[in-house]
Amino acid sequence: MADVKKHDTPMVDDLKSGPWPSFADDIEQKGLNGKQACLDLLGQLELSYKHKETHWKHGGIVGVFGYGGGVIGRYSDSPEQFPAIAHFHTVRVNQPASKFYTSAFLRKLCEIWDHRGSGMTNFHGSTGDMVLLGTTTDQLEPIFFDLTHQMGADLGGSGSNLRTPSCCVGKARCEWACIDTQDICYNLTMTYQDELHRPAFPYKFKFKVSGCPNDCVAAIARSDCAIIGTWRDDIRIDQEAVKAYVGGELKPNAGAHSDRDWGPFDIQKEVIDLCPANCMWMEDGELKIDNRECTRCMHCINVMPEALRPGTDTGATILVGAKAPILEGAQLATLAIPFIKLNKDDDYENLKDFVDKCWDWWMEEGKNRERFGELIQRQSLQEFIRRAELKPIPQMVKEPRSNPYVFWSEDEVPGGWKRDVKEFRARHAA
Amino acid sequence: MAVDKEELKQKILEFATKKAAHKSKMYIKDLYKADPNASPREVKKAANELVKEGKLEYFSSGSTVMYGVPGFGKGVEEAFEEE
Repeated sequence: MADVKKHDTPMVDDLKSGPWPSFADDIEQKGLNGKQACLDLLGQLELSYKHKETHWKHGGIVGVFGYGGGVIGRYSDSPEQFPAIAHFHTVRVNQPASKFYTSAFLRKLCEIWDHRGSGMTNFHGSTGDMVLLGTTTDQLEPIFFDLTHQMGADLGGSGSNLRTPSCCVGKARCEWACIDTQDICYNLTMTYQDELHRPAFPYKFKFKVSGCPNDCVAAIARSDCAIIGTWRDDIRIDQEAVKAYVGGELKPNAGAHSDRDWGPFDIQKEVIDLCPANCMWMEDGELKIDNRECTRCMHCINVMPEALRPGTDTGATILVGAKAPILEGAQLATLAIPFIKLNKDDDYENLKDFVDKCWDWWMEEGKNRERFGELIQRQSLQEFIRRAELKPIPQMVKEPRSNPYVFWSEDEVPGGWKRDVKEFRARHAA
Repeated sequence: MAVDKEELKQKILEFATKKAAHKSKMYIKDLYKADPNASPREVKKAANELVKEGKLEYFSSGSTVMYGVPGFGKGVEEAFEEE
């Protein structure tokens, strides 16, 4: 028998009137089918709309034994009014690399969650985890037991821990993948289990792995350490296929824009003129590329996938320090290593050496709740380069004579120099 | 130089218990002060072992994890106030 709606929710109900399916509908259906927590959740949401402030309290000592992450305590601040969500903890579950599932796995997960939680999920959270929304403290250990023993799954990261690493579909489905993103993601997850489950850092730290510079997981914008597949030899060109694109036999962008007539394909206008490095031209009916100038933007490859392919000498570019705008502002990643070979046989040792150096510095010098990128900003890129034992490269210099990155220290210059700061300040205010 | 883990755990516990009397939740960086000779990794490992032993406890906001001493407790809002 279906339950009846518990709370009057006119503002929430209004969300159902739009053209798209609404979460309000889904949650209400779940509630009317027996999950009181869903009905109370909508009631509290209505109250939040009315008061224009949240009625959730978050944080606490809840978790599973031995883990310092994976569970986020959440409580209603109006438990008398909404008793079924008095405790409404979130559980993060580490997703499989590239988010490939069997239907049996998903069915089992839903069964567990229907039995022990609200039945509501979020697939997936922005870090990539499967997010199970809403359960009570007494259910946490049984959920953890079922996940680990029945499903072979584990909790994801939260708090001042390494967050669940995530990756694009990689070589499983994408011809452009220059690295085995799934293997790297899984390897990092298993290597850093302690950092993933127990707090280690001043704040969160995210790895994201993209197979090519298209960067489908937006690692460059969202991760403290972005591992992005690239190549260092030449783009492979099939001149016959180039001619087929020019002649109209092959559809540009694999037909992705064929829902309207854009006119005949113009390689000059649509590819060559849009190359940010101006390193392409046509010569005697053939496409030429000055690969030394190529910045790996992927545009030409995206437009003509049958004619152009990434090179075969593949590896990754490592960037660090991206973050969303919670403290300070949003920040894109900074290039750390333009090209690194990633070798499964040596367990990605060179990558992990680099990561360990970054973490040593951050754990030592990072302030509470300071992301890695903010530490670089505060202490300078030069200090980061020194601590990560990297060699400064021209790409780190913004422009000649005014770069904010690389400064000589006295012992690096023959003869050194004497500097009187007081005398300097007499002429230049601080 | 690596420090003795049991000795470090004792120092952390003493430091945390003393501090908990007036501030019940601590960042991992606060615990570094328990033994300036220990490396951040050593402190992290020792503190996490103390949690397993039930002598310290985690307090997580979801975005940050702090350490507390069981029995010393304040509300969520107070614990996350800036230092």
